[in-house]
Amino acid sequence: MGSLKILAVDDDPVTRMLIKKKLIKEDYEIEIAENGVKAIELINNTFFDVVLTDLMMPGGVDGIGVLEAVKKKNSQTEVILITGFASVENAIEAMKKGAADYLQKPINFDELFLRLQKIENLIKLAKNAGDLREAMSVTEDNAGHTIQNLELKVGELQNQLYEIEDILLKYDLDPQDRIESALKTIGA
Amino acid sequence: MAKITPNEIKILSKYIYDISGIALDQSKTYLFETRFGKLIEAEGLANYSELYSKAKSEPRKTLEKKIIDAITTNETLFFRDTGPFELLRHKILPEVIDAGTAKSSKLLPTAIKIWSSACSTGQELFSIAIIIKELLGDLKKYNIKLLGTDISDAAIAQASYGAYNKFEIERGLARDKLQKYFTLTNGNWKIRDEIRAMVNFKKLNLMLPFGALGKFDIIFCRNVAIYFNLNDRKKLFNKLADSLAPNGFLIIGSTESLTGVCPRFVPKRHLKSIFYQVR
Repeated sequence: MGSLKILAVDDDPVTRMLIKKKLIKEDYEIEIAENGVKAIELINNTFFDVVLTDLMMPGGVDGIGVLEAVKKKNSQTEVILITGFASVENAIEAMKKGAADYLQKPINFDELFLRLQKIENLIKLAKNAGDLREAMSVTEDNAGHTIQNLELKVGELQNQLYEIEDILLKYDLDPQDRIESALKTIGA
Repeated sequence: MAKITPNEIKILSKYIYDISGIALDQSKTYLFETRFGKLIEAEGLANYSELYSKAKSEPRKTLEKKIIDAITTNETLFFRDTGPFELLRHKILPEVIDAGTAKSSKLLPTAIKIWSSACSTGQELFSIAIIIKELLGDLKKYNIKLLGTDISDAAIAQASYGAYNKFEIERGLARDKLQKYFTLTNGNWKIRDEIRAMVNFKKLNLMLPFGALGKFDIIFCRNVAIYFNLNDRKKLFNKLADSLAPNGFLIIGSTESLTGVCPRFVPKRHLKSIFYQVR
């Protein structure tokens, strides 16, 4: 059961249709693109949780091009590359550029669903951490506001006390005058 | 996972206090178990007493370092809590630069020294460096020294390398700053050399004397003293007061207070933020 929004990019119509069918069956929200150029158009207009893209594609923009466009648009989108046996090295290079994972052709769908599940769990964990930070930040802001106001008030009162001390220590003056002038500093 | 006994908590808390100054709440059994459980297994030890004995007996202190890394909290963000950074940009830096320029001869560049005293993985100091770069542009006219220190070796190692995963980078850092000041390297975001070159990191235990670092115009000491007991907090802020240059600025965490801790510091307000100066 998936709750991810996924874009699948492949120049082969049969693979595209197969991916779409399988993912819809698992309740994922899926869009497809037949090449890198179309994929980038979609990526620029919509947010996807995951982009699943073929590594080798004709038409100027290959899987790496799609990956780079995704990461430029939104680093929260995860990219899984689909690669032929011969291009595993390239896939590893792609992972260094920020791809989350790669799958070898022919696609083993059980494996794909496991990877997607892993990404979904990570997204949930990140959201939990984000929510906690947000809650902490709101609490911190509120507490900070109160504490800082108290801190300033205490600072003010401390200064008044120093002033009163100075006046009261002026032994050359009459005690009554000292008391009166000390009281004046606090408006009494 | 091994269960910790009340006696082991007592021994371990005292040991952690001695090596780091961190005062642990002894009622929080889970804290000891979650922070040290994995370490005990990884070291092939049977229980917490063995962890203590091994850490104490190692001359090279490898395990001691791992214990410090495990117990320190590295919760930090780029531009965590916008207040202090706005304060730095609009109030403190302009004042420090004015005062420094007035003081320095025309031949010498204006010196500015800033210290992030519990820098964790470096986000605070890099945020400061980014603000300085944006505010001053050409840095040649200035002699800027930015120092970050932390008690955790692991935190200092990451700060020195200057790379962050997407979870560490995402919050707090605006997209334009991310693109401008970081490059995506091996799946992580690495601070660009021009910013990295502005800062220095080194390991430091704030419980120990640090007068040798010299005087600073601005000191950030945010959210670290909360882990110390009152007596150690008093000592720390007294030492920080000694380490501030005349008219220097101290910035502490937004929920921290120096009331009853260090009467030498006076709180002052600028817009929504507070900073401290020596009376």
